[in-house]
Amino acid sequence: MTANDPSQSFLARHQFLIYRLFSLAGLMPVGAFLVVHLLTNASVLAGPGVFQSRVDMIHSLGPLLVPIEWAFIFLPMLFHAVVGFVIIANGLPNVGSYSYVGNVRYTLQRATGMIAFVFIIWHITQLHWLGTPFGGGRFDPHHATSSAAVVLRPLLITILYAVGILSTVFHFSNGLWTLGITWGLWTSPGAMRRANWISIMVGVLLGGAGLGALGGMRSVDVEQAKVIETRMEDVKRMLEGGQSPLESSPSHGQAPAVHTSETAAPVVPTSGSVPRTPSGG
Amino acid sequence: MAQPRVLVIGGGLAGLSATMRLAELGVQVDLVSLVPVKRSHSVCAQGGINSVNSLTRQQGDNEWKHFDDTVYGGDFLQHQPPVKEMADWGPRIVDLMDRLGVPFNRTPEGFRDQRRFGGTLFKRTAFAGATTGQQLLYSLDEQVRRWEVEGKVKKWEFWDFLEPVLDDAGRCRGAICQDLVTMQFRAFPADAVIIATGGCGLLFGRSTMSMVCNGSAVSRAYRAGAWYGNGEFIQVHPTAIPGADKLRLMSESARGEGGRVWVPKTPHDPRDPRDIPESERSYFLEERYPKYGNLVPRDIATREIFDICTNEGLSVEKDRLCVYLDLTHVPRETLDRKLGGILEIYEKFQGVDPRVVPMKIFPAVHYSMGGLWVDYEKSSTGGLVEGSPRNQQTNIPGLYAIGECDYQYHGANRLGANSLLSCIFSGLFCAPGVIASCDSGGKKAAEESSRLFDSGLRREEERHRALLVRTAGDENPYDLHQQLGNLMTRVATVVRRNDQLAAAYAEVCSLEERWRRCAVSDSGNWTNQNVVFTKSLGDMFPLAKLVLKGALQRDECRGAHYKPDFAMPGIHATDPVEKRREAEAWCDRFEANTRRWLKSTVAACGPGGEPEISYQDVDTSLTPPRPRLYGLVGGEEIEDVWKERQNAATVGGNAHKGPAAFAGATG
Amino acid sequence: MIRSVESTGHHDGGQPSQSPADHGGNGHSAPQRFVRVRILRQDAPGEESYWERFEIPYVANMNVISILQQVAAQAKSRDGRRVAPVAWDCNCLEEVCGSCTMLINGRTRMACSALVDRLLDESADEIELRPMSKFPVVRDLVVDRGRLFHSLERVKAWVPVDDSYDHGPGPRISPENQEDAYPLATCISCGCCLEACPQFTKIELVRREDESADDFEARRTAAFDAGFVGAHAISQAMLFNGHPTGKMIADERLTALTAQGGIQMCGNAQNCVAVCPKSIPLTRSIARAGRAATVWAIRKIFDR
Repeated sequence: MTANDPSQSFLARHQFLIYRLFSLAGLMPVGAFLVVHLLTNASVLAGPGVFQSRVDMIHSLGPLLVPIEWAFIFLPMLFHAVVGFVIIANGLPNVGSYSYVGNVRYTLQRATGMIAFVFIIWHITQLHWLGTPFGGGRFDPHHATSSAAVVLRPLLITILYAVGILSTVFHFSNGLWTLGITWGLWTSPGAMRRANWISIMVGVLLGGAGLGALGGMRSVDVEQAKVIETRMEDVKRMLEGGQSPLESSPSHGQAPAVHTSETAAPVVPTSGSVPRTPSGG
Repeated sequence: MAQPRVLVIGGGLAGLSATMRLAELGVQVDLVSLVPVKRSHSVCAQGGINSVNSLTRQQGDNEWKHFDDTVYGGDFLQHQPPVKEMADWGPRIVDLMDRLGVPFNRTPEGFRDQRRFGGTLFKRTAFAGATTGQQLLYSLDEQVRRWEVEGKVKKWEFWDFLEPVLDDAGRCRGAICQDLVTMQFRAFPADAVIIATGGCGLLFGRSTMSMVCNGSAVSRAYRAGAWYGNGEFIQVHPTAIPGADKLRLMSESARGEGGRVWVPKTPHDPRDPRDIPESERSYFLEERYPKYGNLVPRDIATREIFDICTNEGLSVEKDRLCVYLDLTHVPRETLDRKLGGILEIYEKFQGVDPRVVPMKIFPAVHYSMGGLWVDYEKSSTGGLVEGSPRNQQTNIPGLYAIGECDYQYHGANRLGANSLLSCIFSGLFCAPGVIASCDSGGKKAAEESSRLFDSGLRREEERHRALLVRTAGDENPYDLHQQLGNLMTRVATVVRRNDQLAAAYAEVCSLEERWRRCAVSDSGNWTNQNVVFTKSLGDMFPLAKLVLKGALQRDECRGAHYKPDFAMPGIHATDPVEKRREAEAWCDRFEANTRRWLKSTVAACGPGGEPEISYQDVDTSLTPPRPRLYGLVGGEEIEDVWKERQNAATVGGNAHKGPAAFAGATG
Repeated sequence: MIRSVESTGHHDGGQPSQSPADHGGNGHSAPQRFVRVRILRQDAPGEESYWERFEIPYVANMNVISILQQVAAQAKSRDGRRVAPVAWDCNCLEEVCGSCTMLINGRTRMACSALVDRLLDESADEIELRPMSKFPVVRDLVVDRGRLFHSLERVKAWVPVDDSYDHGPGPRISPENQEDAYPLATCISCGCCLEACPQFTKIELVRREDESADDFEARRTAAFDAGFVGAHAISQAMLFNGHPTGKMIADERLTALTAQGGIQMCGNAQNCVAVCPKSIPLTRSIARAGRAATVWAIRKIFDR
C-alpha cells in the first residue's frame, strides 16, 4: 500500500474523532438497538401475544418512529459501516502467519462486520417497508409473529438468519471488548481478561436471544398466531374508542383490508399491498 | 566567522553524550555510525554505573576513594589526573542520567538504589534492572533525537568512517566516509573529528562485543598517524556462554549464588553431566583455592579455567573449550528469585534449562583497556582543566578520541561499572575543549579548499575499487578472520608467553599477506557487506600487530596482562626471619619492576605498517603505586614491609601528594 | 531438514573457532549433518525478489545468525553456484540491539535468538528466511526501518530537560513507578510489533527523477506522518507521559497520538504484544493511551 495523501484533508485532520465516533456508534445507538431488537424478538418464545404487545409498544410512537429510526438506527449504522469498510480496506489481516487468539478475533471482527452488513441490508429489504419496492417489506406490525414466521420458515432462510444473527452478535460483543480498550476502560491484561468474560457473556446471551427468537418464529403456529393477533387488534381498536386501526397506525392509510379480515386468507400480501410500517422491534 | 562544525564517529554512550553537549553549546554536529545509534554496543552493558553517592558518602566514601579504587584496580597504569576528574564528575553524571529519565532501580522511599560491585567496599553502583547500558544509551539517544529535530544534529547512520583528512600542517580537517547502502563516498569537512567507536573485540574472532566492534575506525586513525596506547591490555571475562556466533556474558552473580565450576576428570567425558558421580568430577577452583573457592578474583578464575582446558586438556567438549558452571544443586525457587534474568538468557540462547543441566561456560574477551592515545591538561588541583583543547585530543590536532576507544581511564584492568562512567564522562567533558580547538584552528573546515578532501576521496575510492576487482583471489575473508581470531585468542588473551607471541606476530604478518589475495565474492556496488567486511578485516592486522608486539615487549605481569614467566610468586618461608627477608626481596623486585614497567605503551604506525613502540611515564602524582596482593600467599608480610617503606619515604619528604591535597581540590 | 552425509574429503567453511581439530579431513570422519535454508533475496529496491537455497554444516546450538555467517563465508548456493553473500543486519547478537529482525519460518523474530534446533521442530524440511514485509527492502534481508525511528520523533519520546548541566538528581520515583516504566524502557526498536500488526502497512516511496534529495525526504516524512505511528511509539509516549518531568509535555504527545495515524489506527489484534521479543506490555500502553486520549479530548472540549 502506498502512503495516505500527505495533504491534510478534512478526514485526515479529524481521523481520531471519526474513529472514536465510529467506535461509539457501534455501541450507542447501533449496539443498543441490537440488544433491544434481539430481546424483543426473543419475546416470541413467550407466545405470539407477548411479541405482538412488544411490537405494538414500539409502534405506539406513531409518526415519530420514522425520524427516530433514521436518526438513531439507519444513519449511525450507515456511518459505522462506511468507516468500517475504510478500516477494513486499510488493514492487512495476517492470521495465517500469526494465529493468536487476538488476531483471529481481529480477523473475525472484520469478517463478521461484512457479513452483518450484508445480512442487515437483506434483512431490512426483506421485512422492513423500505424493502417494498424490491419485493420485500413483508413484516406486518399488526401480525408481527405470523408475518415474520412465514418469511423465516424456509430452512435456508433460517440458516442464513442464524449466520447473520451470530455474526452480528459476535461483532457486537467482541466490539464491546475492543471498545473498552480503545476508550481506555480496561487497560491492564488482567482487566482485559475480566472484560473479555463479560463480553463473552453478553455474546452468549444475545446469541441465545437471537437464535431463540429464530427458533420461536419457526415453531410458532401461524394460524393460531394470526387469531391471537387479530383478537389483540380488535381489543386495541375498542380501547382507542372505535377508531379505525388504519387511522391510528403510523402507516399512510394504504393498508389493505387484510388486517380486518377474519378469514384465513394468505398472510403474505402481494407487493404493493404491504403495510408500510417500520420494522418489528 | 562560520559556525564550528564537528564530526562525531560512533553513536554509543561516548559519541552521544559528546553530541548532546556539543549541540547544546551551539555546535552543528554530524554523527556518523555503522548502525542506527540506538543499536550501538553500549546496549550490552548490564551491571551499572559507578559514582560516589549520598549513601556511600555517609559511610566514609568520597571521590578520592573512587579514584583510588580505579587506579588500584587498573594496577596504576593510567594517568591519574583524568581518573580523578572522572571520579569527581561521577555523582553529577549519574544525577544527569537520572534527570534524563533512566529508570534506575529505586529504594522504597524513591531514591536511586545502589549495589556493590567488584573492587570496592561501597555500594557505588546505580543500575537499571539488568540493562543499565541500554537504558543510559536510550536516554542519550532520545536527547540527540531531540537535537536532531531541532536541526543541530544530522545523523549519518549506516555510514563507515574511512580516514581522517589532515591539512598540510597536520591538523584534522574532517573525514572521508562511505554510505554502506549506496556505497557512495562523501567528504565531511569538520573543525574537529571525535572518534567514539568503542573496542576491538573482533580482533579475537568471537568475544562478548558486538559485530561493529571491529576496531576499524581506530585502526584507520592509527594508520593516519594517531598513536595507540596500552594496546596489549585486553580484559577477559571468566564466564561467558560459548556460541557459534558470539560469546555471551554470564554474570559473576551465578557464582555468587553458589554456582560451582567443574570438569569431568576424564577428558571429554561423553556422559550426561548429571550422570557423572562426584568422585569423577574436578572442582578445580575449590581444590586450588580452598579459601575463596569459586569466587576467586576474576583474573584468577579466568586463568584457571583457561589453563584446565588448554594445558590439561580437560575441556568438557572435544572440539570446543568449556567447563561446567553448575547451579543444579541450588533450589529452583532461589534461582528464579535471584538469577531469573541471566538464567533466561542462557536458556534463550542455548535452549537448555540451567536449573536442570549444568551450564557450559568459557572465558571471553570483554573490553579493550587500550585505545587511541589521548592528551589531557592537568589542573593545579590534580584534575583536568575544563575546556582545554588538549583534553581527549589525540596526537593529531583536531582529532579526538573518547569512550572505550581511548586508552585513558582503566589502566591495566577495568573495574566493573566504571566503563559506562568513563564513556559518558569523556563525551561530556571533552565538548568545551573540542569547541576551543575548533576556534583555534584558523579558518573553518567548510572554507577549506576542496582539493584537500578530493585527494582523500580519490584514495578511498581507489582502495575500494581495488578490493572490488579482487574476485579471483584464493583467500576467503571470513576464514581469514576466523584464523586471526583463533590465533589472537590463543596467544594474546589470558596467558601470554613470549615464544608464542613472537610466532603469532609472524603469523599475523602472513595472514595479512594472504588477506591481500582475498577474493571478494560480491563485486556489486549496493549494500555490499562483503567488501566492507573485507576492508575492515584488513584494518584489523595493524591493531593485532600492536597488541602482540606490546604484549611481547612487556615482560611483567600487570592487570590483565599475565606472563607466567614473569610472575612474582608469593612467599612460602615459615621462619619469621626468612619470611621477612623474602618479603623485602619481593618489595625490592616490585619497586624495580615499577621503575621499569610502569609506563604507557605507545604504538605509532611505522612506514611499513609495523608498530613502533615507545614508552611514556605514567602520571602517578596523586597516589603512589602499591602492590596488589589480593590472594597472594604471604601477602600480609609483604604488606607490612611495604607500609614501613612508605612511611619511611613520607618521613624522608618524598611523599606523593596524598588525599589531603586532593580533598581541597574536590571541595 | 538435517541430513547426514559422509564427508567427501573436504568442505568449505571454517572449523570451530577454538578447536584446531578438523573432523572433515580424511574421509573417515563422522557423518556431517547439514541444515537447509531458503532465503528470499532481492538485489536492490524495486528489483524482483527470488529464492535462493543454501546448505550449511550443522553445529550444535547454532542460531540463524551463525547460518547467515556461514552463508556469507561459503558464498555458494546449494547447487554449487557462486553467489554474492546474503546481506543482513545484526550487531549485538544477544537480543538487545534490535538489528536482526526478519521473518523466520514466516514469523517475525530476532535472528540471534532463533535457535536452529527449534526452527527445525517447526518446519523439518527447510528453514525459511525472508525480509520484514512492512519496511522497504534495501537488499536481501536488510530493510529500511527509518519510519520506526521517525515515529519516536512524532511522539516526542524524550524527557524535555533544560540542559545537560548539573541541577542535582532527577525527581524521586517510587519503586512501583519504576517497575511500571522499566519494561517499556526496554524496547529495542526491532520492529516486530509493527511487522505483525495488521494495521501497520508498508510505506515505500521511490525518488522521482526530477526530485531533489530534500524534496524526497520531505515527501517521505509527510507519508510517514500520515501512516500509523505503531505500537512501539505509543508505548514510548506512555513511558514518558508517566515520568514526572516527561509528563510536562504530555499534551504534545497526546496531540501527536490523536493526529492522523495515531492510536485510533489500532485494531486491537494484539499481535504486537504476542510477538514482542522483550515481552513489553504493549497493549497495556495502547489502552492507557486510549484512556489518556479520552480524558484529554473531553477536557479539551470542556476546558476551552
